Amino acid sequence: MIETKLGEFEEVLLLLVGILGENAYAFKIAEEFESQTGRAVSIGSVHSTLNRLSKKGFLTSEMGEPSARRGGRRKRIYEITAYGEKVLKASRDFKMSLWNQFPGFAFRIA
Amino acid sequence: MKSNSTPPKYAQKLLQMLLKEELVEEILGDLEEKFQEMLEQQSPFRAKLNYWYQTTNYLRPFALKNILITEFNPFLMWRHNLLLSLRNFQKDSTTFLINLTGMTIALTCVLLIYLWVADELSVDKFHAKDTQLYQVMKHSTSPQGEIYSFPWTPPPLAKALREEMPEVEYSTSLRLRNDDQKGILKYEEKQLKFTEQYAESDFFQMFTYDILEGDRSRFLQQKDEVVISDQLAQKVFGKTTDLVGQTFEWEKEPFSGIYKVAGVYKMPPANASMQFDLVFHFDLVNDHFPDNNKWTYGGPDTYIALKAGTNPATFQEKISTYLQEKSNEDYQTLFIRPYSDKYLYNKYENGKIVGGRIDYVWLFSIIAIFVLAIACINFMNLATAKAAKRSKEVGVKKAIGASKGHLIQQYLSESVLLTFFSLFLALGIVFLFLPQFNFITDKTLTFSFSSKMFASILGIVFLTGLLSGSYPAFYLSRFEAVEVLKGKIRRSFGEIWLRKGLVVFQFTVSIILIISVLVVYHQIQFIQNKNLGFHKDQIIHFTKDGQLNENLNTFLTEVKNIPTVVNTAGMGSDLLENGSRTTGVRWEGYTEDNAIAFKYIRVGYDLLETIGVELAEGRNFQKAFGNEENKIIFNEAAIQAMGLEDPIGKTVRQWGADKQIVGVVKDFHFESLYEPIYPCFIFLEENPSEIMVKIEAGTEKTTLAQLDAVYKRFNDGLSLDYRFLDADYAQFYASEERIAKLSKHFASIAILISCLGLLGLVTFSAQRRKREIGIRKVLGASTFSIVQMLSADFTKMVVVAIIIALPISYYIASDWLKGFAFKIELQVWYFIIASLVALLLTWLTVSFQTLTTAKLNPIDTLKEE
Repeated sequence: MIETKLGEFEEVLLLLVGILGENAYAFKIAEEFESQTGRAVSIGSVHSTLNRLSKKGFLTSEMGEPSARRGGRRKRIYEITAYGEKVLKASRDFKMSLWNQFPGFAFRIA
Repeated sequence: MKSNSTPPKYAQKLLQMLLKEELVEEILGDLEEKFQEMLEQQSPFRAKLNYWYQTTNYLRPFALKNILITEFNPFLMWRHNLLLSLRNFQKDSTTFLINLTGMTIALTCVLLIYLWVADELSVDKFHAKDTQLYQVMKHSTSPQGEIYSFPWTPPPLAKALREEMPEVEYSTSLRLRNDDQKGILKYEEKQLKFTEQYAESDFFQMFTYDILEGDRSRFLQQKDEVVISDQLAQKVFGKTTDLVGQTFEWEKEPFSGIYKVAGVYKMPPANASMQFDLVFHFDLVNDHFPDNNKWTYGGPDTYIALKAGTNPATFQEKISTYLQEKSNEDYQTLFIRPYSDKYLYNKYENGKIVGGRIDYVWLFSIIAIFVLAIACINFMNLATAKAAKRSKEVGVKKAIGASKGHLIQQYLSESVLLTFFSLFLALGIVFLFLPQFNFITDKTLTFSFSSKMFASILGIVFLTGLLSGSYPAFYLSRFEAVEVLKGKIRRSFGEIWLRKGLVVFQFTVSIILIISVLVVYHQIQFIQNKNLGFHKDQIIHFTKDGQLNENLNTFLTEVKNIPTVVNTAGMGSDLLENGSRTTGVRWEGYTEDNAIAFKYIRVGYDLLETIGVELAEGRNFQKAFGNEENKIIFNEAAIQAMGLEDPIGKTVRQWGADKQIVGVVKDFHFESLYEPIYPCFIFLEENPSEIMVKIEAGTEKTTLAQLDAVYKRFNDGLSLDYRFLDADYAQFYASEERIAKLSKHFASIAILISCLGLLGLVTFSAQRRKREIGIRKVLGASTFSIVQMLSADFTKMVVVAIIIALPISYYIASDWLKGFAFKIELQVWYFIIASLVALLLTWLTVSFQTLTTAKLNPIDTLKEE
């Protein structure tokens, strides 16, 4: 079984990038994380993790449109790479298999 | 909702300053969006607060500028630097070898000088009570107002100081000695010669000696007891313990007798200035020379140990007039000098210490620094000159992101590495050369790997490496990547002048050294060949010891029977070994104002004839006349100083005794040529301590063998221990000879290093102008004219060096010569020769390199376009 190369925070962020699509930039991702988990997180820590994920090859990024709200500055939009998808899948599959083996809550995936 | 609030400016400024440039835009944008969002829901204060919170959270390694964050892994860095340095050495092996040679030579010099200086500075410092030990000396003011300083103090002084001064803890008199007059120790069948000393009972309490046997506090309290050294014990008795109470016979007039061993001490280390094998009770001296046991006499050394905490200056004040009170002579004052200063600081002028051996310590330390400086300068010169070659390397490195700091580190480690290589080589050379060096310097230096020495050597090496590498490192790292990759190197004017200046400096030093060597050698030759007014060649002298005393006349008759013996005479010990002067002479017309300090020579019969001193008036001492002890001879200088006319027959009072003048000798140099010919009187010693023999020239070997045979018949088993008079005379200049030899070495080393430096520069210069030379050749220039052209630059530099060096060396040379009362004139040709040598060497070095370049086929050089 392949291990995941993802930490928990990383995995969540990666998924959020996939969810947010066009709006996957640091600020928005941080906001989304906060609303979904109830945990406050600084933009800096999110950015740092996104950076790391890019270095690992799971994300790519591109500069997007500027806006007045940002004082005319552009944003950096992140996108999951094929490698990133692969690693997400591997992680999910691994977790699922473990959950299936777990005697207490055995259930079948639909 | 207020939308006219803006994010905190300071936070923004901070971020702009600290963040990576490429991230600034997106980060500030995100932060602003967050700020706006917060404004919609909360107060501006909260929004701003949150902004600050976000700001601090962006102070992470990934976001900050590179300068702030370096991935610091020293070991990797060092390994990389090491590899690079080694590769560079390989690539440019000529430069490497030139630098290595220069640096090795310099370090060898520095190491040798360091050993010597460390040894000199350590002399006599090993005594435990070192800070309390002082020697009591006296100033003597001549009527003309000059102050002379002597260590010769009255015998009663030590005891008196100890008894009357509470500050004095211990004191001792120590007899002034001539080391070559040994006594004979007889035990069972053995007869051996040793050096002795006479001291008072405090001696072993003051000075640190390892006592192997015996009770230190009871030494030197009985006159028939002696304390012996372990070396003597081993030689005579074959053991170093179980000797207390052992008796032996000692023969040395007038102290001969049977003595008992009171204890055994370990011989002091080589760096103790006092070396002797037996210590007798000082009262023996006083008993045998009761006339000298007066306050008006100046003889032994006096040493004291002050109580800890005593202020030496106040004590000196206190005792300064002590001697005057005791002796009623008011021209003498006492002063004290720290004991361990005796070796290094023994030159006094007008009452003040003006140097002594310490001058040489300074001199050689300066030489060491100079030599090292020159080697560093060479390194710097060469490195910056070769910068062109390495500029591409610098450019590429900078282009891919190396910082200036990295580059500086790399170049510094290269120079430090080179210095370490040189150190290893230098250590090897020093080991090989050390015995020879010890011979020249008359020392026993060893490489004791004390932590102090280790640390100092490492310190020197690091300093040298860093210093010599600093300029090139900074210079190289300043190159702009783009410019350099394009092939342009800006040479600032200042830099070229600096390089030239460095070469000029080296040659200046070398020229000064050459001139100094020439002057010193010439002066020494002059000294040795000057007519001294007497003959010192083919004359030997030896102590009248053992049986020679009893059977003197028989001995002399036998000696005179040897056909090649020209003459014999008795000799007092102060010919050529005298430093003392006395004012104890009274003549007609003497007043206190015109008192003269006379030198004096004690002679036996026939001495003046043997050494060929000429008489100006009157006659010599002759046995036939009888009553000669009441006669006296002066030299011309003395007669003149006293203002006596028709001196023959007149009476003077010498040391309280009336003497009649029977002769006046022509002035002769009985001292070194450092001194003028002082007024001197000569008096007769009926029983002189030495015998002088003049040998026919060319027969030394056989005559000496015959003399030895005669001696052996009288003193069974012992060999004739003689010295040549001219060797004694040469001793005056022992240190000069040494300096001459050493300066010769150092001058050659300085020149070698300078030439190496020049060679490096020339090599580089020739290479750089390869194409220019090629073109000139094509246009028809001859090899010679090309060489000329290339050397013009360097010739100019040497000429400037000459111009600077000549006045400086003139000043130094005349200053040194001033110390001699009799000296050579500074000849023009010294300076001319030195300059010519410098020029010639330059041309040789230059042509050596440029010839190869000039001979290159222009096709090859121009092809490289």
